[in-house]
Amino acid sequence: MDPVAVLFVDDEADFVEALIKRMRKREIDAYGANSGEAALAFLADATTAIDVVVLDVRMQGMNGIETLEALKRKYPMIEVIMLSGHANLTVAKEGMQRGAFDYLMKPVDLDELLYKLQDACQKKRLNEARRSNSSTDSFP
Amino acid sequence: MNPLGRFFNRLRPRRGRPSAADVEALRIDFKARYHAFKRLLAANNKALAIMADIEHMLMGRHPFGMSFVRASTTALSVNVFNMIKHLDQLSRGRYQALYGRFDDIQARIEGVLTHRKTTPRQDLIVPFAAVNKDMIDLVGPKMANLGEMKNRLGVDTPEGFVITAAAYELFLTANDLQAEIDRRIQKAEKGDISNLYAMSSDVQQLILKAEIPAALENRIHQALDELARKTGGATLALRSSALGEDTPDTSFAGQYRSLLNVGLDSVLDAYKEVVAGKYAMQAITYRLNRGFRDEDVAMCVGCMAMIDAVAGGVMYSCNPVDKSDNAVYINAAWGLPKTVVDGSDACDLFVVSRKNGLRIERRDIQHKAEKFVCLPEEGVCRMELTGDNQADPAITDAQALFLAQAAVRIEDHYSLPQDIEWALGTDGVYYMLQCRPLQQLTKTGKRRPTAKAMPGTPAVIAGEGITASPGAAYGIVFPVHKSMDVLGFPEGAVLVARQALPVWASLLNRAAAVVTEQGGFAGHLANVAREFGVPALFSVPGVVETLAAGDAVTVDADNLSIYKGRVDALLDVRPRSANLMTGSPVYNTLQQISRHMIPLNLLDPASPAFRPERCETLHDLTRFIHEKSVSEMFNFGKDHDFSERSSKQLFHNVPMQWWVLNLDDGFRHEIKGKYVKLENIRSIPMLAFWEGYAAVPWEGPPPIDGKGLLSVMFGSTMNPALNAGVRSRFADRNYFMISKNYCSLNSRLGYHFSTLEALVGERASENYISFQFKGGAADHDRRIKRVGFIRDLLGEYAFRVEVREDNLIARVEGYDTAFMQARLNILGYLFLHTRQLDMVMANPASVQHYQRKMTRDIESRFLGSKSA
Repeated sequence: MDPVAVLFVDDEADFVEALIKRMRKREIDAYGANSGEAALAFLADATTAIDVVVLDVRMQGMNGIETLEALKRKYPMIEVIMLSGHANLTVAKEGMQRGAFDYLMKPVDLDELLYKLQDACQKKRLNEARRSNSSTDSFP
Repeated sequence: MNPLGRFFNRLRPRRGRPSAADVEALRIDFKARYHAFKRLLAANNKALAIMADIEHMLMGRHPFGMSFVRASTTALSVNVFNMIKHLDQLSRGRYQALYGRFDDIQARIEGVLTHRKTTPRQDLIVPFAAVNKDMIDLVGPKMANLGEMKNRLGVDTPEGFVITAAAYELFLTANDLQAEIDRRIQKAEKGDISNLYAMSSDVQQLILKAEIPAALENRIHQALDELARKTGGATLALRSSALGEDTPDTSFAGQYRSLLNVGLDSVLDAYKEVVAGKYAMQAITYRLNRGFRDEDVAMCVGCMAMIDAVAGGVMYSCNPVDKSDNAVYINAAWGLPKTVVDGSDACDLFVVSRKNGLRIERRDIQHKAEKFVCLPEEGVCRMELTGDNQADPAITDAQALFLAQAAVRIEDHYSLPQDIEWALGTDGVYYMLQCRPLQQLTKTGKRRPTAKAMPGTPAVIAGEGITASPGAAYGIVFPVHKSMDVLGFPEGAVLVARQALPVWASLLNRAAAVVTEQGGFAGHLANVAREFGVPALFSVPGVVETLAAGDAVTVDADNLSIYKGRVDALLDVRPRSANLMTGSPVYNTLQQISRHMIPLNLLDPASPAFRPERCETLHDLTRFIHEKSVSEMFNFGKDHDFSERSSKQLFHNVPMQWWVLNLDDGFRHEIKGKYVKLENIRSIPMLAFWEGYAAVPWEGPPPIDGKGLLSVMFGSTMNPALNAGVRSRFADRNYFMISKNYCSLNSRLGYHFSTLEALVGERASENYISFQFKGGAADHDRRIKRVGFIRDLLGEYAFRVEVREDNLIARVEGYDTAFMQARLNILGYLFLHTRQLDMVMANPASVQHYQRKMTRDIESRFLGSKSA
C-alpha cells in the first residue's frame, strides 16, 4: 500500500506541527493547515492526493462541521476523521451523520490515531477500486 | 439499486462461470464487506472497553471529572453509531430501526448531561442587608450564611454586597469561556499532574484576560459607591462563595481564593482574580476528588469592608475530632485571622467548656513569631512580632468567653456545630466573617499503644504536636517546600512541610499522612485532611530537620508520635476507605447516564424479543448488532455460489466435522473444491486454537457414576433447547469464519454450545478474545459447577470471566500476539477436555483430579517458553 496521505487541520499551529512530525516518523505522508479555509485551499491545489483529513471541531472561521460539509461535497472520496478537544455528544453525532469516518477526542493515543488513519485510507482505496472496477457507488 | 443487489444480479443470471472482471469485482466487494465487518468488530470491542471503564468508575474508588463522563459517553456513542452504519452496509439496510433506537437512547443521555441547576434570580448584585440563607443558589453558601448571621441573628458582620451567580454566568457567557475551559480540562485530565498544572495556569490567565461586560461593571460601581457612603471608603476584602460548597460532608476549606485589603480602584481585577481561583490547582484537584461538576460551581464573590483586626482566628463550636466533646475551641492569633486559616504560624488555643455555664477549661498559649496586618493603601503584610507580644495571649479570657458565647448562639441557630472565622476590630467590635457547618469526626475506635507502652520500638517523636486529623499511617517521608515539589510527590508518601498551607491540600488524595512544624487543627489543611481521612500531626517542633527525605516512618497522629519503619501494631487493619466519589454530583450524573448505556436486556438471540425495537441501552445495541453482523457475514458466504468464498470442510488426515469460511485472507491460496487442508490455513487465531485443541489427545468420556448418567438423560428430555429441532442453522456443526487475523467459531458439540471470537494481529490494543460457553447435558447443578470450574481455570490466565447461570463469558484483550496465541491454545485445549466433565462435577475428588491435570497440561504445554 502506498503511504497514507493525511492533512491535519487545527488552529493550534504547534499541535499540527507536532502531529506532522510524529506521523511522518510512522511513515504517514502528513501535511497541515490551520483553518478550514486553508484546508480547502490546500486540497484545491495539492499535488499529492490526500486520503484522509483530520479535522479539529472548534476553529476560528469555518468550524469543523462546516469544513466537513464543504469537504464531503467537493471531495466525496476523501475520508474525514474529527479530532475534537471538546467532547460533545451532539456535535459528534452531527459529524458522523455528515459522513465523518470517526470522531476521536484529544488527547489522542498516537497508535490509535495511526490505526484509524490506516483504516480510513483502506476504506477510501476499496471504494476507489470498486468504482474503477464497475459503476457501483461507494459504501456509505 | 444498492451495490449488493447489483452484486447478486451479476452472479445469478449469467450462465457458466463469471468473467474474470466480475470475479475481480466480487473479490473487491468481499474485501470491502470484510473491512466493514472488521471495523464493526473493532468498534464493538472499543464500546465494550468503554463500558467496562464506566463500570469500574462506578465502583466509586477513583476520582473522575465531568470530562471523563462526557468523553466516555461521546466515545461510546460514536462507536455504537459506527456499528449501526457498518451493519447497515453488511445487511443491505435491513436494520434501519436501529437508527431510531439510537436517537432515542442518545436523547435520554443528553437530557441527563445537559440538565443544570438554573439560577432562579437574575440580580447581578445583592447587598448584604438583603441576604439570607435561602439565597444559596444566587449568592453561594458562604455569603448566604453571612447574611443569615447578620440579618436574622443580629451578629456583627462587615458591610458589603455579593456579586452573584447570575453575574458569573454573564461574565462567562459574554466571553464564551465555558466551552474553552471544558476543552482545556478534557485535554489535561487524562495526563499527569504537570498537565493539570499547565491547564490550571492557562485557564486562570484566560479568565484574567477576559472583559467584564459593561452591564456588570456598572452595577459593581454603583454598589461600591453605595458601600463607600456607609463605610467612608474603606478598602475591601473579596471572598469567594462558590456554589456547590453546600453539600453535606464537603468543606471546600481554603480551596478558593480570597483577597484581603483590596483598594476600591482594583475591585474589578480582584473580582476576576477570585473567579480565576476556581481553577487554582488545589481547587481543581479537590473538585475532581470529590466529584463536583465544574459547570455547577458558579463563583459568587462577596465584597465586604476590610476589618483591620487587632486579633483574629477561627473557632469551632465543638471538638472536630471528637463528637462527644461539645467544648468550644478557639484559635487566636495577633492581627488578621489569616495566620490561623493558613496554618502558617503557631497560634493560641482556648478551650471553653459548656458544663455549668461557659468557663475556660484549657489555655494553650504559643510562642507567636509574626502577624498579618493591613498595609495602608492595599494588600497585607507579615510583620514580625517583638517582645511581650510573642508570648502574650492574643485574646484575654474575657474575650474568649465572649467569642464562645457567640459560637454557641450561632450553633443553636443552625442546630449544627459551626466553624466560624472571627476578627476583633480596632473599634472593639467582634466581627464574624464566615460560618459553615463543622464536620465532626467520631473518635477512632482503635486504641493504639502509646510510645511508652512500646519500649521495643524507638519513637522519633513522642508526645509532641497536635492531632489535626486522627489515625495512623505508614509511608516514605517526602518533604515539600515550594509548590513545584507537588509534581514529584509519590503515591502513599508522608507529606512533611514547615507550614500547614492550604496549597498542600492538592496532595491529600495521594498522601498517607501529613506532618508539619506549624499550624493548628482549625486551618484549612487540617479540615481537608479530616475530610479525606488522612492522619495529620501538626505543630511538631523541628520535624522538618528530624525527618529526612526517604525515611520510612509510621505516623500516629492520635498519640502524637512518629516511629522509624513500619509499626503494624499501630496501623488500622483496613486501609482508609474514604469513598468520596459515591453520591457526588459527577458520580450521580454518570450513574444516571449509565442506565441508558450499561444494562443488557437482550440476552438470547433465539428469543423473539431479540430485535431492534427491544434495544433499551447502548449495550443492547452492541449486542444485537454484533450478533447480526456475524450471521450476515456467515450467510452471505453460504448463500451464494461463488465457490472461492463458500465454506470448506476441514481435512486433516480425514474429513472432519469442522467447516471453514474464508472471509478475506484466511487461506494461503485460493482453494477449489470442498475441502481445505489445515496446512492451507493461515488464520493466526484459528491455528492457535487448533494447536491447543490437538495438543493432548482426549482420554474419552470420564467414568460416569450412575447418578451422572441419569442426570444426563433427565436433562436432555427436560430441556427443549437441547432437542435437535431447535438447532439454529449454523449452530449444528463447528463453523469457523476466518481471515489472517480473525476467527470466529460457532460450535455445537453434543449438548454444549460455544462461540469463540478472536482478533490477533499487530495492533495489540485491538487484539481480543471473547469466549462464550453454555449448556451441558447434566442437571442444572452440575452444569453450574462445571461453568464454575472453567471460570476458575480461565481466571488464572488473565481472562475476565463472567458467569450467569450456566452461561460463561470470558474476555481478554489488549495483549500482544504471543500472549493471545497462548490464550487461544488454552481455550482450544479446554474446548476438548471439558466435554462431558459435567458428569463428574458432583464428586469433589475427581474435580480436584481434573483441575490438577489440566493446570499441569496448560502450564507445561502452552505457557512454558511463551509469555505467562
